[in-house]
Amino acid sequence: MTQDIRSSEVLNKAQAAHEIERGSGVLVILRRWLPGSYGRLTIHIVLIALCVMILFPIVYTTLTSLRPQGFGLSRQILPTDGLYMGHYERLLSTPRFIRQIANSGINSLGGAILTTLIASMAGYAFARLRFAGRRYFLLFIMAMMMLPGITNLIPLYRIASDLGILNTYFVMIVVYGTYGIPFGIWIMKGFYETIPRVLEEAAAVDGANPVQTLVHVVVPMSMPGLVSVFMINFVFNWNDFLTALVLLRSTAMKTATVGLFDYQNQLTGNNSELLAAAAILIMIPGLIIFLIARRAFLQGMIEGAVKG
Amino acid sequence: MTQRTVAKRIYPYLLIGPAVVFVVFVSLYPALYTFYLSVHRTRRGVMEYIGFRNFEIIWESSNFWNSIQLTFIFGFAFLLLVIGLGLALALVFNSRLQGNTLYMTIIFIPWMISEVVAGVMWRWLFLPNLGVLQNLLGPLFASDGGTYMFLSDGTGAMGVVVMATFWRSLAFATLLLLAGLQTIPSELGEAASIDGANRWQAFRRVTWPLLLPTTQVTVVFMSIQAVNAIGMFLSITGGGPGRATEVLSLQMYKEALQFNNWGYAGSLAVVMFFINAALAVIYIRSLQSQNAFD
Repeated sequence: MTQDIRSSEVLNKAQAAHEIERGSGVLVILRRWLPGSYGRLTIHIVLIALCVMILFPIVYTTLTSLRPQGFGLSRQILPTDGLYMGHYERLLSTPRFIRQIANSGINSLGGAILTTLIASMAGYAFARLRFAGRRYFLLFIMAMMMLPGITNLIPLYRIASDLGILNTYFVMIVVYGTYGIPFGIWIMKGFYETIPRVLEEAAAVDGANPVQTLVHVVVPMSMPGLVSVFMINFVFNWNDFLTALVLLRSTAMKTATVGLFDYQNQLTGNNSELLAAAAILIMIPGLIIFLIARRAFLQGMIEGAVKG
Repeated sequence: MTQRTVAKRIYPYLLIGPAVVFVVFVSLYPALYTFYLSVHRTRRGVMEYIGFRNFEIIWESSNFWNSIQLTFIFGFAFLLLVIGLGLALALVFNSRLQGNTLYMTIIFIPWMISEVVAGVMWRWLFLPNLGVLQNLLGPLFASDGGTYMFLSDGTGAMGVVVMATFWRSLAFATLLLLAGLQTIPSELGEAASIDGANRWQAFRRVTWPLLLPTTQVTVVFMSIQAVNAIGMFLSITGGGPGRATEVLSLQMYKEALQFNNWGYAGSLAVVMFFINAALAVIYIRSLQSQNAFD
């Protein structure tokens, strides 16, 4: 990839040198500063415009959250009297909001840990071991991934209600944990397929049993894969809205996203700044993790969706 | 058989066991329970077997057909946008543009934002009298010189949800298509251009046939997203105005959790189950054909 970029740079320079010979002045300098040809420049302008449009709702919400209450949503886009942090302070001292953020954290963390444990074990088996029914188990789990969302949650609500486990961390962790499994298995399976078997074979030759091999050789090797499964699932659980909306009905157990939905329905028009601040606070953890681990996310998503 | 070989035999099943057990209880069992629900009705909290009566009810219900139609309209508009622009972006990124990673990261940000947060933000942009896009675009869309109220009109409300969903999913479609494009060796395109093909011909004759399997996978994947979309509808329109944006998944949610109409919701869930199952079969098939292609 880097090589290709370099070679295209070389090409651009050669092109520019050629242009200088032909003597087209300022445009040549422009071309040297701006990558590629006019076509490329146009593409960059279009892409930058697209990025601005994509970021617009987020920037607008951020600016709204930094205005004093009752200022209205759209009187002006940029705040004039400096940035007002009052909404954030108020939210962070509201017990209900803190509680709901904590609920989100507990459920997401529990679910992500459960997924990572179960999916890495299964992913290892599917990548490394040959056993009767391997293909069918894999197909079964994959097919189950295709029964998503609300179709699954309607009956799940009834089942959880009958078992008396609605409004518990337990049900959320189990459901989040399971929803992540198929995706986690694809990522881990793909990951194990890229690591050479030599180390495991060496351990086996040295007399380690399969469990010892797993604990002392395989797990340390698979840390990058485990971390990316964990992070992707954490962010997905954190952002989840529907599962929590259906399975959590008591205010004390609700997560931050459901809390935001409830507040929004009480929106009267003059508390929008506070709501904007809540939206931003809920958005931040996911964005930070994504920006830190961008590569793991992008790769993980492709593996999860495309490779079987 | 020695103890050791027995242990070796059951070892793989011990490893996949937890995954299978969890998936059976959380995914398969509810799916079967859906079928049970669909042939019952609740009377004062008691389940009563009524055969296929629920299906007769939904078949004759105009709300059901309305929601089917809306689901298709939503899915079609969303797919057209997301695949069209996704394909264009994937082709641009595949040409190894400077700043690729930065663009891709920015475009990906919406996917990392919760549906409900995204929904809340988009609803604000179109709130009557307050929303900045409502005020900006309202006059442009009005036919009689007044202001078009997006969220008060069925088409407008659907348009806002389509845009918000498109905004959130664009990067994901792009990423899937880009992954497919990157498996196509660039020498093929170069060879075509040496042979005198122009850019469009090279794309049409060389890249496109090779990209078709990935496009299929992406289309089916996005269709599954579209059929099951509900979060944006809940947070932006709540199904309104009237029932103008009450898609299948939203109707099911309302019937079950707001009206306690579990039999009706169960039979809707069965319909959704078959739509999803059909898409899943196509999805797995197209994945397999793609793998064979590699």
